[in-house]
Amino acid sequence: MMQAYLENKHEGRNIGLLITFIMSGLAVLGLLVALMVALGWMPLGERDNIPRWSEGLNVYENIVMIAALLYALCCARATYGLYIRESASLRWSQWMLFVTAMLGGVILLSVVIPVGLKFSLLLGQNIDLRALINENQLAAASLAIGEGLISICLLVLALLALLALFVFLIPPLEVLRHTEGIRLIVAPPRRLIQAILIVFAVGIVFMLIAGIYAVPLYPGVTKIRDVEEHRILAGLLIFLPALYGYRQVRQVREESDELRRAVALTPGKFIRAELAKSPSAGAIIGFIAIFMAFTMATDLFLEPSSIASFLSNVATKGVIAIGVTYLMISGEFDLSVGSILGVTALSFMLFMTEGAPVVGVLDPIPAAILAIFVALALGAVNGILLITTGIPSFIVTLGTLLAYRAITLVAIAGGRILRYKDFYADFPVIGISNIIFVVLSVIGLLLVAFTGYRVLPVLWRLAAQAWSIRSDNGDFGTSGAIVRFVIFLVVLLIMAAIVVWLVAVFGYHISASGGQLVEVGYFDLFNGRVLSIGSEGDFFHLDIPRDANVRLAILWWFIFVVFFHVILMNTSFGNSIFAAGGNQGAARAQGVNVDRVKVQNFVIVAVLTGIAAIYETARNPGVDPLKGQGWELEVIAMTVIGGALLTGGYGSVVGSLLGALIFGMLQTGLVLVGIESRLFTGTVGVIIIAAVVLNTFVRGSQQN
Amino acid sequence: MQYQEKNPDALVDMIDIHKYFGSVQVLRGVDFHVDRQEIVGLLGDNGAGKSTLIKVLTGFHSLTRGQIYFDGDAVNIESPHDARELGIETVHQDLALVPLMSIARNFWLGQEPTYEVGPFRFLDKRMMASESIQALADVGIHIRDPEETVGTMSGGERQSIAIGRAVYFGKKLLILDEPTSALSVGETQKVLDYTIAAKEKGMSVIFITHNIRHVYEVADRFTIIERGHKLGDFYKSEVSENEVADMIVTGEIPERLRLYDEEAVGD
Repeated sequence: MMQAYLENKHEGRNIGLLITFIMSGLAVLGLLVALMVALGWMPLGERDNIPRWSEGLNVYENIVMIAALLYALCCARATYGLYIRESASLRWSQWMLFVTAMLGGVILLSVVIPVGLKFSLLLGQNIDLRALINENQLAAASLAIGEGLISICLLVLALLALLALFVFLIPPLEVLRHTEGIRLIVAPPRRLIQAILIVFAVGIVFMLIAGIYAVPLYPGVTKIRDVEEHRILAGLLIFLPALYGYRQVRQVREESDELRRAVALTPGKFIRAELAKSPSAGAIIGFIAIFMAFTMATDLFLEPSSIASFLSNVATKGVIAIGVTYLMISGEFDLSVGSILGVTALSFMLFMTEGAPVVGVLDPIPAAILAIFVALALGAVNGILLITTGIPSFIVTLGTLLAYRAITLVAIAGGRILRYKDFYADFPVIGISNIIFVVLSVIGLLLVAFTGYRVLPVLWRLAAQAWSIRSDNGDFGTSGAIVRFVIFLVVLLIMAAIVVWLVAVFGYHISASGGQLVEVGYFDLFNGRVLSIGSEGDFFHLDIPRDANVRLAILWWFIFVVFFHVILMNTSFGNSIFAAGGNQGAARAQGVNVDRVKVQNFVIVAVLTGIAAIYETARNPGVDPLKGQGWELEVIAMTVIGGALLTGGYGSVVGSLLGALIFGMLQTGLVLVGIESRLFTGTVGVIIIAAVVLNTFVRGSQQN
Repeated sequence: MQYQEKNPDALVDMIDIHKYFGSVQVLRGVDFHVDRQEIVGLLGDNGAGKSTLIKVLTGFHSLTRGQIYFDGDAVNIESPHDARELGIETVHQDLALVPLMSIARNFWLGQEPTYEVGPFRFLDKRMMASESIQALADVGIHIRDPEETVGTMSGGERQSIAIGRAVYFGKKLLILDEPTSALSVGETQKVLDYTIAAKEKGMSVIFITHNIRHVYEVADRFTIIERGHKLGDFYKSEVSENEVADMIVTGEIPERLRLYDEEAVGD
């Protein structure tokens, strides 16, 4: 139909005109939204925790305003394209309708998610329901439902009026050329039934919302954001027509070659193709979805303290997940990490308190290094056992899981806890000269300079290239080039920010009294609160809110992620890891020493587990015999959510990062919305299966 | 018996090769040689010992008894890596490529080009991409995107890439183990073209198959293996396609050739 319209044939006219009309309407809508936001008539995110740049608009409002303006511009462009019957405008209109539908969907979700949560809690907490009746508050609820009924009547009326308006608007447009247009609404009764069903569904949802909204009675549920039911109409009004329009345009797939090229890349396909390139596609989608869901469900989630707390919680497990990803890509996995963690933490503690066999009592840093060597040895035992016996890694590491656990159980008799405080009154401190920080900041500056020297010209060249061939790349050539320039700018800005920060650190420490040593807790160096490190906590000159529990391990974790990502993707060792897991025989035939790669990976896992053990012990200096129990499965869960295949050959370090973040968000977010933490494991189980299904789905689309 | 002396002109000369797996005698005194710039069809029914002979030559199996000369020198090949060092490239029947890795990464697997930054060595990805496209195009394989994963490609395309890689890296000898067994007619023809391209590049080729039709067109000579023994060497001028096919099936040399063969042996 559409392409018939574009080819100036008769029968496509109606749909074509309709879409042109919708697009022009959307352009006006975009302009209106931008105007309303700019004038302050449409406040977005009243929450206090959204930073405001000034007394005027906050960050959200600025972003929405710019987006709305761009959106209006694109809509206008698409309308013009349709008007002059330019074939490429089909793709434009597809994209615009797609984005519109997404926008409407998000607005809808921002109502539906809190309502769903409240409703499920209502169903789950029958005790409170009884309390409700006792306190004679049922009356309030029924009143609310009554109000709901009234509002549904109003809504139905409003919708009917809207429908009538719609019906009245089309014919004048159509009558200009043809009277066939009325058939669109009247002739197929299916559409009418659909419309009625939608109206009813909206009414029921509205009633539900009104009912729940009027019952804010639960002590634990108050953390869920209040429902703003006026958004549901707006959301529906945007979502449904856009989805309908998108479906109409998408169906076009016929003769004309030029047109086929124009419609070949539907947004759905484009996004799937882009996602299929990354092993962590499922994790990316899951991350965005869960982040958005929690942001919409509760006001407490998007606060610095919440984010800092979940980051601090998963940082240590995330470090182990990096190693487990390596191992899983090479086709093996390790169940013994929890026990290795326990043994390492125990050795670390013992080396500091009772002393190592030959060298005696050690300072924390040598003790940590020695303890990590213990972990390394345990990992090497795993790997060598696997290679020499040829037993599957499941059995080998199941055995060592139990065997290594015996070490801590035997060493710490009677289930007591080995505490640092039982031996020494104070935590150890180290005197660090300001000069070290000066040197470190200079090294940091040099590193940034080197990275900039290597990366920035490449990015600039890519952008310039894209710009010079923008006309060859079709309609998206220009925007693609602009995106590359934006990426270049973002990287440049991030680097500039790091440079400014490092210079500030440099300046602070060089102006501080030279020669005098600053006392820092040893344990704080491993995994302390960033704000409490050093005397006034301003060692790092970071602008973090006081209540945010930002731990140093987060920083180490991100550094490890970057480091191991580069190794995996950019070295021949990384290549041989993929090959060893993907097709052992082929790897051997090409001269890769598969056995060595596997042992190396077992050692890497163990060393990272050792490092994680140091973090855990530094955070809470004490070891109990069961330390780390159950971590192995959590870490494997993170890795699998992150897109690694249990069968080997596929996965990414960034995926493990996302998997760990999803894990942490669930842990913190479920508590914040008021759902019992007992539901956490069940939720994680569902998420794992969903993530793997999603990953398989996305990978499947890559194969086609 | 015959050929006890080392043949000075041959690229590969395997003399009196024995290979036992426990009590199973897979190879019982096979002599096999490949001349320079020659395509040899190594033929035999399933289980005759063709693949074992090649795996001995490429270092997958150690030999029980016998001697291998390569390029005139006695060599001791203990691993696939050793064979590679000598200039032997192999395309194995089942272990050619890693399906989940990209074409460029598969192409360079085991010998990736790197550049150094201080003590670190990073993959030279740009060179990996451009060089693999170029190298594959040189033997007539045109790929769309070097970042495409091999798993998305058809059997013929994968085989082409494996052979293209072997031709690119192979310096002296290219071994193709059943390269055409799973391919369509058109794809088989392409593989035969690559074989000739390798010969023109100055390499020798061992082409293993149990289907004479796939190799008769390009091979210079046929060596037939029959239950761990060598049945004989036959130049293409001496035999017809049907005679070779009969020999593979029956395991007997036809009357006409038997005399000739015995004369050639010099008994």
